[in-house]
Amino acid sequence: MTDEIAIHCDGLTKHYGKVEALNDLDLDIRPGEIFGFLGPNGAGKTTTIRTLMDEIRPTAGSATIVGLDTHRDSVEIRRHIGYIPGDLAMYPNLTGKDTITYFSNLRGGVDWTFVDALADRLEADLTKKVGDLSTGNRQKVGIIQAFMNKPQVYMMDEPSSGLDPLVQREFQGMMKEAVAGGATIFLSSHTLSEVQRVADRVGIIRTGYLVAVEGVQALRSKAIRRVDLYFDGPVDATVFEPINGVRDVENRNHHVSLSFDGSMEELLRVATSNYTLTDINTQEADLEEIFLTYYREEV
Amino acid sequence: MLTNVFTKTTFDRWKPPVIAAVSLAVLLLFGMAVYRGIDVSFWDDLPEAFRSVFGIPAGADVGGLAYGAIYSGYGILTMAAVAIAGGAVSIAGEEKNGTIGLLLGDPVSRTTMALSKAAALAVVTAGAFIILWLTGLAAPMMLDVEIGTMDVNALIVMMFVNALFYGFFAFALSGWTGKSALAAGVSAGVMVVSFIAVGLLPLIDEVAGLAKFFPWYYFSGSEPLLYGISWRDFGILAAGVVVFLVIGVVGVNRRDLRSQSVGTKMIDRLRANPLTHKAAEMLAGTARVSKIWIKTASEHQALLYVIVPLVFLMSVMIGPMYSMLDDTLKSLGEQFPETLLSLFGGGDMSTPEGFYQIEMFGLMIPISILVVTIVIGTAALAGEEKHNTMGLLLANPVRRSTVVTQKTWTMILYAAIVGLAAFLGVAAGSLLGGLGIDMGNIAATCVLATLLGLAFGALALALGAATGRTQIASYGAVGVAVVAFIINGFLPLNDSTTAWAKVSPFYYYLSSDPLTNGMAWGHAAILASLFVILVVLAVVLFGRRDLRQTG
Repeated sequence: MTDEIAIHCDGLTKHYGKVEALNDLDLDIRPGEIFGFLGPNGAGKTTTIRTLMDEIRPTAGSATIVGLDTHRDSVEIRRHIGYIPGDLAMYPNLTGKDTITYFSNLRGGVDWTFVDALADRLEADLTKKVGDLSTGNRQKVGIIQAFMNKPQVYMMDEPSSGLDPLVQREFQGMMKEAVAGGATIFLSSHTLSEVQRVADRVGIIRTGYLVAVEGVQALRSKAIRRVDLYFDGPVDATVFEPINGVRDVENRNHHVSLSFDGSMEELLRVATSNYTLTDINTQEADLEEIFLTYYREEV
Repeated sequence: MLTNVFTKTTFDRWKPPVIAAVSLAVLLLFGMAVYRGIDVSFWDDLPEAFRSVFGIPAGADVGGLAYGAIYSGYGILTMAAVAIAGGAVSIAGEEKNGTIGLLLGDPVSRTTMALSKAAALAVVTAGAFIILWLTGLAAPMMLDVEIGTMDVNALIVMMFVNALFYGFFAFALSGWTGKSALAAGVSAGVMVVSFIAVGLLPLIDEVAGLAKFFPWYYFSGSEPLLYGISWRDFGILAAGVVVFLVIGVVGVNRRDLRSQSVGTKMIDRLRANPLTHKAAEMLAGTARVSKIWIKTASEHQALLYVIVPLVFLMSVMIGPMYSMLDDTLKSLGEQFPETLLSLFGGGDMSTPEGFYQIEMFGLMIPISILVVTIVIGTAALAGEEKHNTMGLLLANPVRRSTVVTQKTWTMILYAAIVGLAAFLGVAAGSLLGGLGIDMGNIAATCVLATLLGLAFGALALALGAATGRTQIASYGAVGVAVVAFIINGFLPLNDSTTAWAKVSPFYYYLSSDPLTNGMAWGHAAILASLFVILVVLAVVLFGRRDLRQTG
């Protein structure tokens, strides 16, 4: 089993006194997967990552990374991990190059050609002191130090905060290349478009509870979308109501608008068998809508 | 608007001055209680030269000794240093934290902001001095001590204006440059040099007149405790305060605000220069970050730049000074009350060893080493957590225990460097003054001082390891050190409590009189064990705890 699973959480729980930051998290993440970890502020995303990194210790439960216990084998695990903490802070008096040299010394060396290539891709300036860099440029140094050792597992907490769209895209390319090479990425993020673009699966966490784990494609196909049907004459909208997945039907004379998460084929059959369909407009399912629905749900 | 910036700054800054004032007030009561029981009739016979070193006026009785030793001795130095700290961060601190943009994003003019900060500095300093003033008045009544014609009000007023002078000097630099470290460093340097110069120059006839070029002269020169306020001197210091206020306000208005950034040091310029790039790169770059302990050492190097020359030069100076002092001092030394000396670390005035013990080993050297070890001990774990870098550091394959031990090596190295500077200084001073102090004994005393410093540094480390909070680590270690120092100084005065002095680490530093008797291996072993136990404790506590996340 250990060879199959990159990250495994077993009832992982973290309470701070009465504050239940994380409750009974069960999760398996496979090698070669980008796992998007989503949730509103304070949901427990950072707590999860900090527990997995052994910065904080679980109140109950346990976790393994590449088959090693996150607490007992934490030093060994860290040989295989690239990490970008949320709210990234580094040593302001060191340059980017110094920072990377420091961490590479602690890791027993680094391939500088690869570091330079990463810096080129992200357009990072490694000669400036970290304290003099803007948030985005500082984040680039954080990304480079996480990628520089080509780790097996990437733990990333809001890695693209402060990055401009061009660099974000480059960074997404880097993530895809990493998983293509067999790595696993645990990506905590608010940037839904990014998760939508790169993640294979997403987990949604709310108030310390994991409320859903789904493949991105599965989520999107299940998504409720708004469909507008235009006809050449007035229609009786009630014929659409019995169709599986149809809700909130609005009849606007020549135009029917409805919410839909069922089979498109059946909808089209009903629409074309009774009337002459002149146009159809359907909005692409957006993860944002789905997540907002999850986020807003009552416990 | 004014009240907002003013009240917030006051709220942010009131603690250090008040804590300092309360500590000094307690020390005054303590000191006065001790002096009360001593026959000090010989005091008037002490040579002028000697008294000026201590800042204690002629003609003072027992109460005067306490005021002189506690208030106008290290009391005013402490209060001025606290005022400097407040002045230095008043404007530049907001720039360093990157909050000034947000603050001035509100409809507040820079002048208003600067004046509010200045007002807060003055008010918190005044508040602290009210504590000192009330205690100064109450102490003789509480302890039934006769203070004669001594003018406590005048002393407090002059101390207050003197503290403000240095606080506003730092304020001016802070406003003009936007660099808080520079403001604090330069002001503290000016204060220390000025204090030493005004203490020592009058001892040498040829240069005695130069003292008035140093601002400290206008505080201590007129001996306010004895002769009341010199309005001329008060006016000069007060005028200085006003001038510095104006400089600070004008300064912050005329320049670009600094964004949150780090200063450019000499080494950075050398790195940028193609000629020196390679060598500087070795020094500042690759080598500096090759190990955790080396990086830690590099972070704290500024400490050494200040403390090593200070310890070395002062240690050297004491030798020739001793040989220059009047012979009567040596004969009077025998009459000198042990009690008074215990405040300065004890020592027999009639011998060069005793003089060195009072002047350097009693306070100066252990404080210097303690500052270094406590700063490093605090920053080692709690500091790195405070700055949110510990998580990233520990994302590398290093054990938490490795981080603790590596940083402990830096602490040992730095304590040893200051100890070595003390050894070289005292050795040179002894040679220059022809005092003939045994070199082995000097080394032994410096080793004990280093071990003492390490014990308190390890306490700061362990407190930081347990809590991750820099304030608990530094205040805790300093607090314990002050209490331990007082216990060791005062408990032996009474036979029934003498034995209790052994609970203080300071007891194992000087009680064996190592400068005369050589190394006390047992005492050294006790201090070293204390250090090791605290480091082990730090490793265990840090290994068990959740890392803090601030921000």
